[in-house]
Amino acid sequence: MYERRRHALATLLLLPAVFSASQALAQGAPIKLGAMIPLTGGGATVGESGQIAVELAVRNINASGGIAGRKVQLVIADYQTEATVGVSEAKRLVFQEKVDLLVGPTYSQVTLAVLPMLNEAKIPSVNVSGSEKLTPGVGPYAFSMLANAEAQAKVMVDHAVRVRKAQSAAIISDNGAQAKTAVDALKAELAARGVKLAGVQEYQYRQADMTPQLLALRRGNPDVVLLFTSNGEDTGNMVKSAAELGWNVPVIGSFGATFSGPAFKIAGKDAYRNLVAVNYKGFSYCPSDPPATGFQQFVGQVKAFKPEAFERQPLAYLSLWYDAVYVLKAAVEGTGGKTDGPSVAAWLEANSGTFRNINSGLTASKSTHFLVGQDALTVVYPDRTREGALLERVGC
Amino acid sequence: MDELVIILVRGIGLGAVYSLVAMSFNIVHNSSGILNFAQGNMLVLGGLFAFFLLPQEPTVARWLLLLPAAALLYAAVLALQGYVTLLPLRSSVEQHSWLITTLAVSVIIGAVILIAQGPHALSVKSPFANFRLLGTRTPTAYALAALLALGWYAALRWFHARTITGLAMSALAQDLEAARAVGLRVRRLQLYAFAISGAIVGSAGFVAAPVMSISADSGIIYVVNGFIAAVIGGLGSNAGALIGGPLVGVAGMYAAFQYGGQFQNAVSLALLIAVLMLRPEGLFGRARARRV
Repeated sequence: MYERRRHALATLLLLPAVFSASQALAQGAPIKLGAMIPLTGGGATVGESGQIAVELAVRNINASGGIAGRKVQLVIADYQTEATVGVSEAKRLVFQEKVDLLVGPTYSQVTLAVLPMLNEAKIPSVNVSGSEKLTPGVGPYAFSMLANAEAQAKVMVDHAVRVRKAQSAAIISDNGAQAKTAVDALKAELAARGVKLAGVQEYQYRQADMTPQLLALRRGNPDVVLLFTSNGEDTGNMVKSAAELGWNVPVIGSFGATFSGPAFKIAGKDAYRNLVAVNYKGFSYCPSDPPATGFQQFVGQVKAFKPEAFERQPLAYLSLWYDAVYVLKAAVEGTGGKTDGPSVAAWLEANSGTFRNINSGLTASKSTHFLVGQDALTVVYPDRTREGALLERVGC
Repeated sequence: MDELVIILVRGIGLGAVYSLVAMSFNIVHNSSGILNFAQGNMLVLGGLFAFFLLPQEPTVARWLLLLPAAALLYAAVLALQGYVTLLPLRSSVEQHSWLITTLAVSVIIGAVILIAQGPHALSVKSPFANFRLLGTRTPTAYALAALLALGWYAALRWFHARTITGLAMSALAQDLEAARAVGLRVRRLQLYAFAISGAIVGSAGFVAAPVMSISADSGIIYVVNGFIAAVIGGLGSNAGALIGGPLVGVAGMYAAFQYGGQFQNAVSLALLIAVLMLRPEGLFGRARARRV
């Protein structure tokens, strides 16, 4: 009995020491960052950009001491641009890898599919998706670096009305979840601005020949075509098909239309002769502006990190993934090292405006978790670049 | 009306690519009962051959020289694939490991393309100028694909009717066991079939490269539509493949034009279901009894 009492006393005395040792171990333990990226499938081109950006961000963060003194351990999950694969990869990240934080996905249909699991596990995430359905109710701990579909739609229609004086417009988009909400937003905005809807068409990712869709839209004789796309290849295929039909209609593209490298390869150097697109103001310039040295540094880093892939990278898009990692870093450090969803989300809702990196002026709140709002967008010429990735604003 | 003509011409051109994939399915299926699901990515490999060996501004002479080279190279590649596929099979009609091996080859090809070339689709320029049709420029690759489909159809007809090897391969299609019993070298003939299918699909990929999406994941579109064309036309019938391909191509493009791009793939599947329900042997196939 005396022995048992001695053992109980020893256990009681040792417990605090064991507890603080495990805490110390946890605090020193790396932060596991999951990255859901489409390395294969129809979205592989943007997936490559995501991977480069996230790996570069993790390397830079670890070189400067990690997040709240903890090194970052990156776990990449390829969701193959498929929602079903995304769900199983999210399960792996949450239950096997036990990630603390997550960046991605980018395709909205995949983000919407994995959010319930992330919500239940209370894992904070910053994705690069733009569907209107990504509300704080749907993703209480999820934020997005992409300007949402509604914001882009407003900017596109405003340009069509104000600059092109369009009386009618046609819409063509891919068949992703973000595009579907974008089409609804475009229709609503056109109706609000009194512009006639001349036709709506849809294409599959990587569809080489879009002439049937464009022939259908041409029947409506629109003044402009509004192109909602997620990558430069589809942009190239669309303008190439329009050129083959001899249809010289002005095109106003979404952010994805600024990924000009692949578009030039498919449609040639005149790909953007009649196409302008939405871009982040932070990635635009007027010829009279001074050089953007901060962005130049980022461009130089990307080139040094992946020289063989540099030429084909949409650098503005890359910066969204890069900053997604840094946003999570800022939030974790802002909460004193906490990585749980509620703490990180509360900090971002209150403090995203203080974030400073490649992108700044973020505007998340309790009512919206889109970190980039309409005021941060403008319309640019995607084929006029400076500092490797800044695009000339229309109307300089 | 002009729009319908444009869609008809492009649909036939795209459908010709499906016809070629369907014919490559048929020749292997007729000799061994195997459906080679790697054909889609083999077609993409044919496009890759064009990307690597044609210069930025290709000449007609170089293109003509490389076309038979593409056919020969992929004949060899498919013969090798055939050897690997047939190896575990004593009787390919009774066993189904070919389903796994052909799909595995397709996945491996896709992965190798992704690792070697990255995720971006590659573009090939044609040495032939686009031809004008009702005020539009139509890629000559569509017309060449249609000519190639007709050419292979005629060549296969002649081969099966006028050569001993072709006749022997036709015998395999009629009764594999009987052919083996009369002393035909079944395994060798099956390898020849794989080689010929490689020549078809390699030349098809080379010719259609300017209008194809050449990337790691684009093979699936061609293998699915080629398979649908083969089944609609009648599995085993090259006449059926020749008709089935353009049927799928035109129907898909017309559906996109008239009802929306979201229906382009759905309509070919609907056609497949309709044919299987109304005429399961396909438009040009023959209903056969099977001993169970």
